[in-house]
Amino acid sequence: MHTEVKVPHSVLMGVESPGRYVGGEQNQIINEDVIKQLRETGSCSQVRTVLCFPDVYEIGMSNLAMQILYKILNNPEWSSCERSFSPWLDMDKVMREKKIPLYSLETRSPLNEFDIVAFSMGYEMCFTNVLQMLELGGIPLLAKDRKDEDPIVVGGGPITCNSEPMADFFDAFYLGEGEEVDLEFTELVKKYKDSGKKDRKAFLREAAKIEGVYVPSLYTPKFENNKFVGYDIEDGAPAKIKKRIIKDLDKVDYPTEPVVPNINVIHNRAYLELFRGCIRGCRFCQAGFICRPVREKDYKTLCDQGMQIMRNTGYDELGILSLSTSDYTGLVPMTDVLLEDFDKNHQSLSLPSLRIDNFALDLMEKASSTRKSGLTFAPEAGTQRLRDVINKGICEEDIMNALHLAFKGGWTTVKLYFMLGLPTETMEDVEGIANLAIKIEQLYYDTMREIGMKPRKPEITVSTSMFIPKPFTPFQWENQNTEEEFKTKQQHLRDMIRKHRSIRYIWHDVKTSCWEGILARGDRRLGQVILEGYKNGSIFDAWDDYFDYDMWMGLLESHGLSWELYTQNYSEEDVLPWDNMNLGVTRAFLLREKHNAYEEKVTPNCREQCSACGANCYKAGICP
Amino acid sequence: MNIAEKKMEMTRQLHQHEYVCRGTFQRTGALSYIGHLDLKAVFERALRRTDLPMLYSQGFNPRPMIVFALPLGVGINTEGDYIDVSMEVPVEPDEFISKVNDKLPEGLKIISAVSIDEPKNSLMSVVSIAEYRIDAPGISEYLEKIFSLDKIETTKKSKGKEVSVDIKPLLISITDISEPDSAKYLCYAGSTQNLRPDVLLKAMTEILGYDKELAANATITRLKLYGGKYPDLASIEGLL
Repeated sequence: MHTEVKVPHSVLMGVESPGRYVGGEQNQIINEDVIKQLRETGSCSQVRTVLCFPDVYEIGMSNLAMQILYKILNNPEWSSCERSFSPWLDMDKVMREKKIPLYSLETRSPLNEFDIVAFSMGYEMCFTNVLQMLELGGIPLLAKDRKDEDPIVVGGGPITCNSEPMADFFDAFYLGEGEEVDLEFTELVKKYKDSGKKDRKAFLREAAKIEGVYVPSLYTPKFENNKFVGYDIEDGAPAKIKKRIIKDLDKVDYPTEPVVPNINVIHNRAYLELFRGCIRGCRFCQAGFICRPVREKDYKTLCDQGMQIMRNTGYDELGILSLSTSDYTGLVPMTDVLLEDFDKNHQSLSLPSLRIDNFALDLMEKASSTRKSGLTFAPEAGTQRLRDVINKGICEEDIMNALHLAFKGGWTTVKLYFMLGLPTETMEDVEGIANLAIKIEQLYYDTMREIGMKPRKPEITVSTSMFIPKPFTPFQWENQNTEEEFKTKQQHLRDMIRKHRSIRYIWHDVKTSCWEGILARGDRRLGQVILEGYKNGSIFDAWDDYFDYDMWMGLLESHGLSWELYTQNYSEEDVLPWDNMNLGVTRAFLLREKHNAYEEKVTPNCREQCSACGANCYKAGICP
Repeated sequence: MNIAEKKMEMTRQLHQHEYVCRGTFQRTGALSYIGHLDLKAVFERALRRTDLPMLYSQGFNPRPMIVFALPLGVGINTEGDYIDVSMEVPVEPDEFISKVNDKLPEGLKIISAVSIDEPKNSLMSVVSIAEYRIDAPGISEYLEKIFSLDKIETTKKSKGKEVSVDIKPLLISITDISEPDSAKYLCYAGSTQNLRPDVLLKAMTEILGYDKELAANATITRLKLYGGKYPDLASIEGLL
């Protein structure tokens, strides 16, 4: 059965940004053969996937993973892929009132018509939106309630390194990079479809044999004294799921014809990915560990792709994407080639995550036709001691030297990013944040005096976020600060900075981080809590305005759970809910790093010296 | 380049000879649900995908220099709106049409074009009248009725406030009501006086009791824009 969802004109005219719900973008892929078969027979021979992003269109369309997988899954003739996004609250309301099912943008098919419903999940706060999309799409929320012919619901993205809180709602998760495992899984679904979709359970057992695929229904968590103690694993399922990676990024397909949105999205530019992984090993950073090993793309590949993307999209800006741009070994030749080409075509290059030094300042000046924009530093901690604890290889002298150069060169805007609540943090470390900003303010006036320039008012922004201990980091056993502790620290900083008129302090909502802390290290018992929270009307939790912390805490309590249970109680002896995942980095390495942190010992980066983290099991990239 | 040099360059550019391609375009489908600024960006990106020799604005964010005759509201189709694109060197209309159409997303199409050497009037200033078609059940009867009124009092939002207006003076004439469910009319349009079709539909529901749901689902199409003074309508292509 195939229905084409028709959204009345009056509905589209009644919601904010109707362009979110109509598709029709440049480079969108419409499979005419699929449409023909659907219209004639109500079904088609291709495996149909709908890629779902559990947030609004403007955010989802700024996500590179969506563009990569869209391309990959539309490549083989036996596979066809479409897109769907979370309808915003106004559209959600009318869709429920008028019983309009959530549909794909390309063929306007309801989600429950697809063979695979695939979610890309980048952050924990999108979980309730997954349920929203499933329900509006007409798919049973709980995996156990789905029938043979229902779509297979899969999830991918960074959150899958601990997907337990969402395990009840998914048939399978992909661990790691999706380009290859997606296709292998889809091929298996093709067989399932060809054989008439008869035994879902048998299909899932088969799928669990694909490396990188986690089928949570085959793993039953066990709890003793309100504590997770391990899984009962069904025969045939692997004891550990091994993350998938792409060994050679030059050989994998990259979307040089990405879909170009018709409306203004969050990042309205083309993207070029330089490398995956990060050599740094900052101890709080989950991406820095789960994306190992570092694999670079050849600068020649990047130049070709960069120029192609710009021609195929018509964007005026190319954004460079990686965890740390300055660490890319081909940065100089790549920017030379691209900048020369872009200059002719009135295009610019955006270079985030640059470590600021003489070279970077020079590059930034060349790269952008725009005014001297702000300089961004992420010292993350206010004192050298704490920066050593977190292995952040940046010292005050580096920052001061860089800013001295920058102020001389005419820059006046500086943004500084910090985290509150890092392990071993004391009030002295918190004060260090304000002191650093104050020193920078002083440095500006001193520099102006030195070069005999009349000072303008510098703009120094201090921004703090809350540290959230995440799985697969050396801090995965740490306690998170309490709401009170966070608030006291924020208040103290506000008091210290208030008098300094050129320093602006931006702080964030504490409660969102507390809830995120629970979800990040959660176990399967949270599934019920998330489901009830959703039933109570919670969606778009990532948007502070719609986030109801007290409701969530109440629900936790009603299930005999608590904030403390998930954020204060891990010891090195514990079995962790994510212990059945293998991301390359070993537990032994993470423990070593934890102890190094407490000894304030810095670990060299991957290029200086191998720390035997375990990622060399992939025999790829930088690893010896 | 220092600031003084940049300024000089900008002045030089401003006096550069301008060749304009004036295209008539249609818009339907998904592309009708985007706003004026988004539409402008869609055209800008499409033009950047071509190899046409566009003139770029000077300054920090150079963009192709394009001008529309009249903003097109969200949800409104068009069969004849105008866009001016400035070029560094003359471009033949046929080349402009084929190259731009090749790069425009489905739903947007240039249907004709003229090349203009140094236009004297800005495209926006020449528009004075528009013809619209409204497709909705029984609409012709209501259009006839509303045209017969001496005064059409309704409200519209102006700077965030609801203000009362009489839209009767903005209506010019009915051009076709031979079909009961499809009606065409002329009204004033442009920067000095302008009647948005949704305001007219709103007046029909308020004053004549036209069904609100039908009005909300009406398909509105701008058929053509004109210059000149009624009844002497002038073609926009000819107003250089």
